[in-house]
Amino acid sequence: MKRAHLLLGAAALVVSLLVPLVVQSDYILQVLFRIYLFAALGLAWNLVGGYAGQLSLGHAAYFGAGAYGLALFTRAGLPVWLALVLLIAVALLFALLIGGVSFRLRGPYFALATIAFAEVLHAAAKNLPRVTGGDVGVPVPALFASHVHRSFYFCAVLLTAAAAWATVAISRSRFGYQLMAIREDQDTALSVGIHAARTKLNALLVSSVFTALGGALYASLFLFIVPDQVLSIDLSNEIAIVAMLGGAGTVLGPLVGSAVLETAAELFKNEFQEAHLLIYGILLVVVVLFLPEGIVGGAAALLRRRGAKGGWRAASE
Amino acid sequence: MDLFAALQAVVNGILTGALYALVGMGMALIFGVMRIVNFAHGAFMMLGMYAAYELFLHAGVNPYYGFPLVGLGMFVLGYSCYQGLLRPIHGRSDFMQILLTLGIGLALTDGVQLVFGADYHQINLPLLEKNLHFGSHITVNAPWLVSFAIALAAGGGLYFFVMHTMMGRAARAIAQNRNAAPLMGIHLHRVQAFCFGLGVAVAAVAGSLLLPVFYLYPGVGDQFTLKAFVMVVLGGMESIVGAALAGLVLGVVESLTSLYWGNEWALALDFVLFLLVLSLRPGGIFGSQRA
Repeated sequence: MKRAHLLLGAAALVVSLLVPLVVQSDYILQVLFRIYLFAALGLAWNLVGGYAGQLSLGHAAYFGAGAYGLALFTRAGLPVWLALVLLIAVALLFALLIGGVSFRLRGPYFALATIAFAEVLHAAAKNLPRVTGGDVGVPVPALFASHVHRSFYFCAVLLTAAAAWATVAISRSRFGYQLMAIREDQDTALSVGIHAARTKLNALLVSSVFTALGGALYASLFLFIVPDQVLSIDLSNEIAIVAMLGGAGTVLGPLVGSAVLETAAELFKNEFQEAHLLIYGILLVVVVLFLPEGIVGGAAALLRRRGAKGGWRAASE
Repeated sequence: MDLFAALQAVVNGILTGALYALVGMGMALIFGVMRIVNFAHGAFMMLGMYAAYELFLHAGVNPYYGFPLVGLGMFVLGYSCYQGLLRPIHGRSDFMQILLTLGIGLALTDGVQLVFGADYHQINLPLLEKNLHFGSHITVNAPWLVSFAIALAAGGGLYFFVMHTMMGRAARAIAQNRNAAPLMGIHLHRVQAFCFGLGVAVAAVAGSLLLPVFYLYPGVGDQFTLKAFVMVVLGGMESIVGAALAGLVLGVVESLTSLYWGNEWALALDFVLFLLVLSLRPGGIFGSQRA
């Protein structure tokens, strides 16, 4: 079973990497880039939101840390590799701050605190023009000089693969089981000796690294960033919706969610222009009311029911 | 920056703060008392503003007279919204409630944008040109004074409702113990739906009152959702009065921030305040236990 999963994953990775041989259109490559990027972001969010059950609506903070980190550290004259190291450090610092303040709280306070923190950063980026360029924005260096779309696509695929691998590894580790225990019942988890606050913080730290790298990648593709683009609430929402739509707490969920949502968003953008967030709102309501385990969770439940009827063993976990 | 400028800023802050307070009191009823996490609060307020705008545009109704109608309409919408969407996920985690109301908010905001467009609107009332002078240095624009009076009355009404009516008592009973309350003959969902509708209506009334003095656009409510949460947390969860006081504080803090550092920092300061209170005094600064 495990070997079959590994083979399937490797096959999917190889197929994904071969796509540019067939697809020549820059537009389609860019849409695919977005799908993989948000799959990676959704996977990162999923560690906190899906496995640990902590609703973060402020992941734009880490995304923005990555985007602005790359822009500002390279502008200060640092080489790209050092900028990447430093932007990860900044994202980790943000995660420490936000987790330290809010993981002691229960209920909706974590979600609120994550929004508040991301919004403070958003306002700071807008209002410190001498540091961040303010609303005018700041240029970002190009990571690739030639075969731009293809190279960014490869990077997004690799980031997604890394995030998926990390998710699988964590979900099978002691750490992963501790996260799920906290999600199911924090009091019981505490009573068996799980340090809930620290465990959740560790998940957030891992999550923030992938999110920041995604932000840096995104920023470098666009060559120019403004606060409303990389630090907005809408971005935080989109990341959460990707994971919830596909199925929180599963490896496949964010991949499926990103493919569905980003395709739908792309179609809606042409149809409704600025009102394309309408589809996000409707999808959220539909998911919560009718498909709380997301597409993957719902499909798995359906398979299980089928399987039980036909006397087959349940195919998925 | 003389003393009078600061005094004027404080006065302005209190006048704005009264409207914030109304939005916050609605949230205190929904979130603080009923524990329904309502991320669509600002969107409902925005919808109230658009309703008042349409009433003004097509029927010539002044928002200062039209607000009860807007409130009534939004009450019905809020009530149905609870019964149709929130009730089915009753008992599930905050997590799902947040996502559901977030979705409702997004759908409302972008639905309005689809129907009315993203343009900024403003209405023109003769009242806007009237200014009242107190002493030689303090000036108050008349509409703000009118809205302050209405907000005070509406806030007082809401307080009376929560403290002295059967429905209000039932709401507080649910807040105290949501398992025991239904055993005492309280119809949980009817009370919750009523309170949700009322909280939404109060926010929409605040929206109508803001219409003459604010620009109207689909995203206008976004910041109010977060501000309302800030007020409820600052005021102490179950306290309607606390939320109102927090609204006034927020108004004054923002006004002074605008005066000394610029308008852009006002919202950021709200959130810094919020994070500080959450980490240092989770019970709120006015930390009382009851209304």
